[in-house]
Amino acid sequence: MKNKIVLPVLAAAVSLIGAGCATNAHYVQTGGNQNVVTIGQINIQDYMQAADTMTGELLASGALNRVANPPAVLAISRIVNNTGQQIDMDLLTKKIRVALLQSGKAVTTTTMGLGGTAEDPMAQGLQQENDFKSDVKSTRTPDFTLSGKIIQLAVKAGNTSQSTFSFQLSLTDPKSGLAVWEGEKEITKQGTRSSVGF
Amino acid sequence: MKTGILLTLAGAVLLAASGCKTSVNSVENVQKSGQRQMVSDQRAVTDTGLAKKVSIVGVNSAMTPGGFLKVQIELLNNTRSPQRFSYHFEWFDANGMQITTLAPVEVPDQIQGGEDKFISSLAPTADCRDFRVKFIAN
Repeated sequence: MKNKIVLPVLAAAVSLIGAGCATNAHYVQTGGNQNVVTIGQINIQDYMQAADTMTGELLASGALNRVANPPAVLAISRIVNNTGQQIDMDLLTKKIRVALLQSGKAVTTTTMGLGGTAEDPMAQGLQQENDFKSDVKSTRTPDFTLSGKIIQLAVKAGNTSQSTFSFQLSLTDPKSGLAVWEGEKEITKQGTRSSVGF
Repeated sequence: MKTGILLTLAGAVLLAASGCKTSVNSVENVQKSGQRQMVSDQRAVTDTGLAKKVSIVGVNSAMTPGGFLKVQIELLNNTRSPQRFSYHFEWFDANGMQITTLAPVEVPDQIQGGEDKFISSLAPTADCRDFRVKFIAN
């Protein structure tokens, strides 16, 4: 008799719990605490956190205020990927660029790039044309360049894996060749398997 | 036989419990040369469990040389075990309008048992006048 009542109730409870945990496709807030966390990869929330921290440190340092004609002009230089995964650096640099632009402290040039490659070739062409036509050169050379590196350090103990991602950035004054600001943000993740949430 | 099993179980429970417990000893100078500019705060608590475990000791703010508002919050873990939580800052301009940044960054954090620690953030623009911080237990 007992079994007749207990077993169906238990079965119903288990199926209810199961249904509660099942996840159909749905939207989550980017970078929020419902995002998937993987140990061996940089997740979107990691890029967001690294960009946010380093932008805050850069703005707080006041390095961008020390230019003759504010806002400072920034050019993006090489950011080396020393991790085991393929990275689109814009996931990091674009967030920093947007935040700096919104702060009013820096603008980024899209007509100058590493090895002469412009991010916006059309703007570069028009700028060169304007410079050729007029006597006054309109091109403003960057006050600073931004370079850096992303490093991954992976270790394992038994079933537990751990990855540390080190985001390193340097802001260099090209006139002196000196790094006027440097920032580093380390993010460490540990676990036995990937999960949803922090 | 039964006593043996019970003792083993008790040992395992004790081991597990001790593994979760952490505590922090600290030392600092008594005569402070820096003065914190404390902010009177208003709190809305919907997660009483988290509020009991990790309490807000105080909030202070300062302006950076570049004119950005910087906010620092002192937290205290009232338990003997580490607590995991995440937080994010929201910023408002002089008209009380929220300043939209790229996407609100939720920062995962951990505080050791009995630890007193600070978290801080810098306003995204010099127009920010007010702030709000949200805490979520992980």
